Amino acid sequence: MRESLPEKRVGPVNGTLLLSREVFEMLRLGSKPENMREMELDDIFISRLQLLIIMTKSYLNKYPLGGYRERSIIENAALVKADAEGMAEDIEFFGLDENSSTGLDFEPVFYQRVKLLAVMAEAFAKGHSLEDHKQDALKKNLNTICEAITFSKTISDMQFLKVA
Amino acid sequence: MREATIIANVKIAVIDEDVIVRDFIVSTLMYSVNREILTFDDGFDAWIYFEDKGFPDMIVADVSLQEVDGLALVPKIKKASPETIVVLFSEVPGNETKAREQGADVFLAKPFGVNELFNLVQTFVVEQDPAGDTSPHA
Repeated sequence: MRESLPEKRVGPVNGTLLLSREVFEMLRLGSKPENMREMELDDIFISRLQLLIIMTKSYLNKYPLGGYRERSIIENAALVKADAEGMAEDIEFFGLDENSSTGLDFEPVFYQRVKLLAVMAEAFAKGHSLEDHKQDALKKNLNTICEAITFSKTISDMQFLKVA
Repeated sequence: MREATIIANVKIAVIDEDVIVRDFIVSTLMYSVNREILTFDDGFDAWIYFEDKGFPDMIVADVSLQEVDGLALVPKIKKASPETIVVLFSEVPGNETKAREQGADVFLAKPFGVNELFNLVQTFVVEQDPAGDTSPHA
């Protein structure tokens, strides 16, 4: 398997990867030093929700699936749905958490929308085709959810999603 | 529009004892590359597996691991398999310098999200069309 990779790697150039220490400093990604901290459950929930949104947009754009992508969608949808249910119950019993370090303060209806998104995602990942009116409902729900959370990337930036 | 292809049979491993963070990374990478992702909860087990079965193309590891931590893994991996890309992640700012000194290719500062993991795939796992942009950070 590793034989498929080129010997000299200098970045994603001309069908080769590159990673030569002389020319490629360590890449730094993620939070700024002053914002670094352990990831909390709210961080994971929002990240998984963003992933679910990308999965759904990819489906609506008719990007190819594949066995592992389907499995990933089903697993992610199940976890997002369970978290959304738990968070909605927490709000019902304890009210909104205004001290959350991640700033999550969504209304219960937001979590209902997230649950609906997860159910529909699970359905298309399992091969159930969504009729036009269901796809319209999915898009509308997706747009409402996206309005509530910050997104800095569009799926057109991610060309690897167009191949399976 | 540039053509993009994922490296054939790309092999990626994720090492983290925090199952919630690890599973999120695995879900995102599995979806991105449409391939199985190897998972380990400590550096020692991962090292034994790699020595026996071969090294993956990319290893994404927490700095804090039992027995053999992420920082200790980097030089061992680079010596055995220089072409393997090693990504270390941590919530401790001081670990960035240590990761660089050990020879890590990428430092991923917590908290991170989907965008950062997609960035890894786009940078290291996607092969671009020869006519495409030639900048590794484009």
